[in-house]
Amino acid sequence: MSVPPIDEAELKRILARAGLELTPEQVRSILPGAAIVQRLIERVNAPLPREAEPAVTFRVDKQ
Amino acid sequence: MSDILTIAEAGRRIAARKLSPVELAKSHLDRIARLDPALNAFLLVTAERALADARAAEARQMSGALRGPLDGIPIAHKDIYCTAGIRTTAHSRLLENNVPARDAHTVKKWADAGTVMLGKLATHEFAFGGPSFDVPWPPARNPWNRDHFTAGSSSGTGAAVAAGMILGGTGSDTGGSIRGPAALCGIAGIKPTYGLSSRAGILPLAFTLDHAGPMAWTAEDCALLLQGMAGHDPEDPASVDRPVANFTADIGKGARGLRIGVVRHFFETDHPVSPATKTGIDQAMDFFRKEGAEVRDVKLSPAMDWHAPGYLIMITEAFALHAPWLRERFADYGELFRDRAALAAIASGPDIMAAMRRRRVLCQEMAAAMLDLDILVSASQPGEAPRIDQTPKWTSMDKPSFTMPCNVTGFPAISICTGYGEGGLPVSMQLIGKPFTEPMLFRAAHAYETAMPWRAKRPKL
Repeated sequence: MSVPPIDEAELKRILARAGLELTPEQVRSILPGAAIVQRLIERVNAPLPREAEPAVTFRVDKQ
Repeated sequence: MSDILTIAEAGRRIAARKLSPVELAKSHLDRIARLDPALNAFLLVTAERALADARAAEARQMSGALRGPLDGIPIAHKDIYCTAGIRTTAHSRLLENNVPARDAHTVKKWADAGTVMLGKLATHEFAFGGPSFDVPWPPARNPWNRDHFTAGSSSGTGAAVAAGMILGGTGSDTGGSIRGPAALCGIAGIKPTYGLSSRAGILPLAFTLDHAGPMAWTAEDCALLLQGMAGHDPEDPASVDRPVANFTADIGKGARGLRIGVVRHFFETDHPVSPATKTGIDQAMDFFRKEGAEVRDVKLSPAMDWHAPGYLIMITEAFALHAPWLRERFADYGELFRDRAALAAIASGPDIMAAMRRRRVLCQEMAAAMLDLDILVSASQPGEAPRIDQTPKWTSMDKPSFTMPCNVTGFPAISICTGYGEGGLPVSMQLIGKPFTEPMLFRAAHAYETAMPWRAKRPKL
C-alpha cells in the first residue's frame, strides 16, 4: 500500500515539529528527498516475524 | 611500474636501512606540493610535524630500534579523526577552527607505531554530505581524472593514496565511506568488523553504523595498517575485548579451499552495474576457481531491503547527534548534509523501531548465508566514477548501496580494484567475510591482487 506523498506544507510542519524552522526555499530544497524516505519507511515496515527483536545482550563473565 | 612504494616494500627498505624515512617524507611532501593544488585531497599539510616524525623514525632506524613495519611510513588522517593541537574540521564551517586537545585512539596508535603524519584529509562534510561546493574547502578530485568524483566520504584519503601523496590513510565507513572511495579511486580499503577498531576521538556520524578502517594501495598494506589500528579501547563502547589477529598471517597462502558465494542479484538485477564492473567480478571468480576455490552464487534479500533500514538508521542517528546545530545553525551546513539529515524528521519512532528489528533479521540472514561459506562477493560501486558535477543529490538514498549491508550487519568487507572501464577509470569488487575473519579477506584479496596487473598501473599525474 503506497503512502500519499508529502507536500511542501506538510514537510514544513514535520520539520518544525523536529525543531527545524526553515524558510520556504529551504523546505523546497528538501522536498524531493521526502518521497524517497517515504519509500524507505514503507519497506522497513513490511511484516516482520514476532521474534525479530533488537535485543540488548550482556556478558556476565566479567565486570 | 610505479616509483611509488607500497607500505610493505617501504617498510622492508627502511628495516634494511636502504631507505631514509626523512628522504621518504620529503619526497611525499614534494609530491603533495606538486599535485594537491589540482586534487584538493588535503585540508591541511603538517610538514613540520611530518619531518619531526620522520627524523624520529630515522633515529630509531639507525639505532636498531624500529617499532615495526609502519615505522617511517607517510600517512595522513581523514579530517574527522581528532589530532591533538592540529585543526580537525570535519570539512565543515561548523568546526572551521576546532583544535582538539587529544588524539583519536587510532591516531595515537599509528603515531606510536612510528608513522609519519603528513596532514589532514578532505572528507564529505561530517562524513556524509558531498561532494559539496558550498563548504569552506573544495571537494577532493579523482586522480584518474580530476573532472570525476572520488566517492566519499573518505574522499581525500582515496585521492591521496591513489595519487601516491601518502602510502596509506584513515577512513571511516558508515554506509560505505571507505569502500566507495577505495573503489572509485582504484585502491584498497577495508571496513573491519564492528568493534574491531576504536572510534573514540573520531567525530561520529551514526553510532551503530560507524566503523574506522584503513585505505592503501594494496590489501597487504591495509593489513599492515589495520594491525596498527585494531584492539580494545574502553573509551569506545562498541570496542570488542578480544585478542587481535595477525592480519598478515595468511597473506601468501593463496585461494585454494576458499568457499566463495557471489551475491549476483545485488549487482545484476537489484542495482545493475556497468559491463566493466561485472566483467571484473566474473574474471575474478574465474581466477578464484582456477586457484582451487569453490565459487557459487548465493541469494540474499533484495539489496534495497538492506539499504532501507541502514539509511533510515543513519540519518536518524545523524540527526540526533546534530540536532542542536541543525536547529540553530542550519544554513551553516552545506546543502547536502543538512537536506539529507533533515529528512530524518519524517521517520516516526515506530518506523525506526521497525528498521532496528529488521536489522536484527538481516544480521541473522547474513550469518546463515555464510554458514558454509568463507567469503561473499558483490560490487563496491555501480561502475567507474561519474563526473563530479553529475552526482545527483538524492542518488545515494534512492538506489540500493552495495556497501550498506555490511554496515547494517557489522560484517567486515574490503574493496579492491578489478581493472579499468571504458573511461579509463577503476572498477572494483567487494569481498565480505564473517565477523573477525579479516585475515581471510586479506589472504583472498592479496592472492587476487598479486595475480592481476592492476596494481602496476597508477594515475598519470
